[in-house]
Amino acid sequence: MEQQPIVELKQLTKFIGKKKIIDNLNLQLFPGQITGFLGPNGSGKTTTIRMMVGLTQPSSGEVIVEGQTLHDDFEEAMSKVGVIVENPEMYKYMSGWKNLLHFARMNNSITKERITEVVEQVGMQNRIHEKVSSYSLGMRQRLGLAQALLHRPKFLILDEPTNGLDPAGIREFRTYLSKIAKEEGVSVFVSSHMLSEIELMCDRIAVIQNGKLINIREMNQKEEAHYYFEAQPAEQVRELLVTHGLVLEDKGPGFLSKVEQDKIPGIIQAMVAANIQIFAVQPFRKTLEDQFLEMTGGGQIAESHKK
Amino acid sequence: MLNLIRNEWMKLWHKKATWIMTIMLVVILIGVSGVMKWAESTFDQADNQPSWEENQAENQAFLTTQLADPNIDDSSKKQLEKELAISQYRLDKNLEPMDPNGREQSVLDSSFLLSLVILFVVIAAAGIVAAEFSQGTIKMLLSRPVKRWKILTSKYVTTLLFAVLLTIITFISSMIASYLFYDSSGGVILDYRNGSVEEVSYWGRVFALYALQFVGVVVYTTFAFTIGSVFRSSSLAIGLSIFLRFVGPQIVFFLSEYEIAKYILFTHTDLTGYITGNMFIPGITWPFSIAVLTVYMLIFLFISFWSFTKRDVTA
Repeated sequence: MEQQPIVELKQLTKFIGKKKIIDNLNLQLFPGQITGFLGPNGSGKTTTIRMMVGLTQPSSGEVIVEGQTLHDDFEEAMSKVGVIVENPEMYKYMSGWKNLLHFARMNNSITKERITEVVEQVGMQNRIHEKVSSYSLGMRQRLGLAQALLHRPKFLILDEPTNGLDPAGIREFRTYLSKIAKEEGVSVFVSSHMLSEIELMCDRIAVIQNGKLINIREMNQKEEAHYYFEAQPAEQVRELLVTHGLVLEDKGPGFLSKVEQDKIPGIIQAMVAANIQIFAVQPFRKTLEDQFLEMTGGGQIAESHKK
Repeated sequence: MLNLIRNEWMKLWHKKATWIMTIMLVVILIGVSGVMKWAESTFDQADNQPSWEENQAENQAFLTTQLADPNIDDSSKKQLEKELAISQYRLDKNLEPMDPNGREQSVLDSSFLLSLVILFVVIAAAGIVAAEFSQGTIKMLLSRPVKRWKILTSKYVTTLLFAVLLTIITFISSMIASYLFYDSSGGVILDYRNGSVEEVSYWGRVFALYALQFVGVVVYTTFAFTIGSVFRSSSLAIGLSIFLRFVGPQIVFFLSEYEIAKYILFTHTDLTGYITGNMFIPGITWPFSIAVLTVYMLIFLFISFWSFTKRDVTA
């Protein structure tokens, strides 16, 4: 990618006590791209995000936003970043509007008109003057998004953003993120446990485990074609497929195999000729969940650490 | 910075507790005066009260016998001589003292009610940082393009503003209560300065007492603010500050024989002794008190800022 990254993590390392929580993390985030951030519990996702927004100091390494490090030019760098860390905790005893006003005052030059505009964007105009304590979790998420967008950030960090949103809200949220990424060139960094969400939303995923980045990949990478065959009698099917040079993997009542698409009609013809009863022959795509579990080696929480 | 202070002020007044404290302050100040007035009115007044001249003469006789005691130490002797001189001056110039049940004395005494302000401002100061942590809003607050020291400064300034406001409210409420319940008594305040007795301006004295009491407010507020921001727990900060408010002077009392008492913070939290002449640690002076207070305050603030700007937020 020849584009300049908006955000760069350089050899980011964090010790808590003697324990290395984050180990030499390098990552670049580009404008207009939505990057998903995945990792099992306790892998260092939240710590990484906290270092990216200045809540936690890295032990070594740097977070660079458009050429300025968080450490040396905190105010300049942070004025380009919008953040929701975990659940957006608001001042419950104030109205949504007052909360936005509060955060707006912490940035230069955010007008009342801008606040109104953002409130409309997240669809909160009817209840913005009610106290936050009366809001549902979904509404708080919307308010959280609103405060993150107030200053038109170039970089948006979202930690578990769809937590508590209803299905319509999630879809709206997804559409909205894609829109600001594409139209305004905002770089978005989303951490989530909901893998299907990430799959639908992101252009690229970064996977972290035990504090190390173990994989960065583009989501639209051409998948190797897998097909699923279900036919009877099974033994005969197995023989036939093996003679076609396929390596089989048992999957439920049928088989799974890596095979090129143009071989499929020939195989089907052969099966029909051999009087095999075919129930299903279909392309099989591994879900992100499968890939994720494959990459991280199952669900165990590796080496728990205390917060 | 102005915007940050406006933010803190807005948050402070959106909390119910702030309003409750402020209203309670007014109610207590006016209510207590009312109750005292009522209690007083139920006493039977003796018909032939001694005149103030007779009182002074009696007082002088008492002071003279005290002075005659051969075991008296130097500082007590000075104090007694001072009182005797003032008393004599009153009789010579026919200057009536203030009636202890009069309006003027009541306003003067009200400065000591700033203890109540200490209690309320300590509650606000303890919570202003700690509450952000307990609500989880701290991560929203610190992930802004504002350096942490600016945020902490705005919070400190806001607590001080709150302290000023409550002090003004105390003064106004006490004035109202005094005018409602007490009659003007006249009378003159006398003081002994540089070897001679002088008349003291009444409003000057009121202002001085309030100002000196306010120093105590600031010290306890800063202490609570520091504990609240270092330990991120408002209950600890409130408890510890109020505990020390009551125990501190006791500690000074127990250690008053030793040199170290001069360097204890609580020796200097009540500076009204410089005016009323009741300092119980001998040999401390104005500049010394100011120096000790300054050092303590700088230490508190340094710890508070260091901890707030350097530590990771994991809330």
